[in-house]
Amino acid sequence: MFEMVARGDADAAVTNQFYGAMHARKYDLVDTAVVFEPSALFFAAPKNASPELLDAIDRHLSILKKDTRSAYYAILKRWTSEEVRFKFPAWLQIVFLIVGVVLLTSLAGSFVLKRQVNARTFELKKINREMEERIIDRTAELALAMEKAQAADRIKSAFLATMSHELRTPLNSIIGFTGILLQRLGGPLNEEQEKQLKMVYNSAKHLLNLINDVLDISKIEAGQLNVASETFNLRDAVEKVIKTSQPLADNKGLKLSAEIAPEIGTIRSDRRRVEQILLNLLSNAIKFTEQGYVRMTCEVRSDKIVIAVSDSGIGIKPEDLGILFNAFQQIESGITRKYDGTGLGLSICKQLANLLGGKIEVESEWGRGSTFSLILPLEGEKA
Amino acid sequence: MKGNILVIEDNEQNLYLVRFILEKNGYQVHAAMDGKTGIDMAVQLKPDLILLDIQLPVMDGYAVARNLRANPQISGIPIVAVTSHAMFGDRDKAMEVGCNGYIEKPINPDTFMEEVELHLLKQ
Repeated sequence: MFEMVARGDADAAVTNQFYGAMHARKYDLVDTAVVFEPSALFFAAPKNASPELLDAIDRHLSILKKDTRSAYYAILKRWTSEEVRFKFPAWLQIVFLIVGVVLLTSLAGSFVLKRQVNARTFELKKINREMEERIIDRTAELALAMEKAQAADRIKSAFLATMSHELRTPLNSIIGFTGILLQRLGGPLNEEQEKQLKMVYNSAKHLLNLINDVLDISKIEAGQLNVASETFNLRDAVEKVIKTSQPLADNKGLKLSAEIAPEIGTIRSDRRRVEQILLNLLSNAIKFTEQGYVRMTCEVRSDKIVIAVSDSGIGIKPEDLGILFNAFQQIESGITRKYDGTGLGLSICKQLANLLGGKIEVESEWGRGSTFSLILPLEGEKA
Repeated sequence: MKGNILVIEDNEQNLYLVRFILEKNGYQVHAAMDGKTGIDMAVQLKPDLILLDIQLPVMDGYAVARNLRANPQISGIPIVAVTSHAMFGDRDKAMEVGCNGYIEKPINPDTFMEEVELHLLKQ
């Protein structure tokens, strides 16, 4: 194209501005002013073209433009509306199609996904808000319930303290007056009067023990039972509980004995509670033994003090050993309710032993007898 | 007469019981039914021992014990607390306010005199 203009075969050429500027100098050509809408350019003429020729062209163009089927329009149509002959290869078209479909699908997919994500996010936020509200509600409910429980616990403790006082006051009179009558402080008694007063006295004492058991378990469960740490002579304590239990053993014709090892002396623990445990173990042994013996042994075994109560009683079935220390449960012993008691004794003993830093162990053979051992730490012992 | 014992106790039956046992065992018994009277009688009579109930109207036994201990004229008299209120460290509390001993109600008629005389002997 540039060569044709340079040779003079053509008067002018239309080209892209940059392409033109790039090649114009190479062919020694001069560029015209830039035409920004080349599609509106139909004809061009050199500067010195004859005016008659231009007039004639104008005239002819005007005529041609009036007829839509004229050569002018035919040419225009050919240059502007004719289909582009260039075609992409088939495989590329397929690739484009696939890429297009994939793109469209992914676009649609991402749109749907985004909507779903938005919906889920909204839902999650809603759930989150509901959860937060629920947590706040529940926390308030819990605080209220806790307050109520604590109030109930305070009322229970106050009630127990009051009941303890109220139940003990009349018992004080019953036990006190029958006691002094039996001591003959009120004057002589005949055999029948003494027998009946003893029944009143023993029943009242039994009632007192039951009240004490219930109070003890309540205190233990409320964590309000504190044990003392005092130095006392364990030998004296063991001898005292044996002496106290002697009448019970005598009543059933059982042989009650104690073997205290020579190394047993003073220990550091809670005397009252140690005695309570031992008295309970002894009274249980006597209660569940019909004939034979109840024997207490007290010795130091490695770094522990072991006080064992053995008997020749009915013993305990292996399957009952598990519930032995449960509160409010008394093992069925063949004859229902043959053995009275609250069923609290061993539970209290076990928990008291724990509070004293020790434990209670049991060995038993059904029909042959049982051995209950109170094991206390030796660390508080004084030489 | 073995000695003078002041019993501060508001329950008539309990008072009767304690008085009966003590008198039968050869002691002279003075009784006060409330804390204020008890303190006045303690100052006036200077007994050998005071048996003090903890559940008293108006001024309770702990307050009475504190009051007795604060008075130098009678601070040496042994005080034994007698209470059925055997809950939540009563024993410790009684010792804390200056009692020398603690007897739990219901009293055991077989050992009551032993416990009382233990404190009389200590004096």
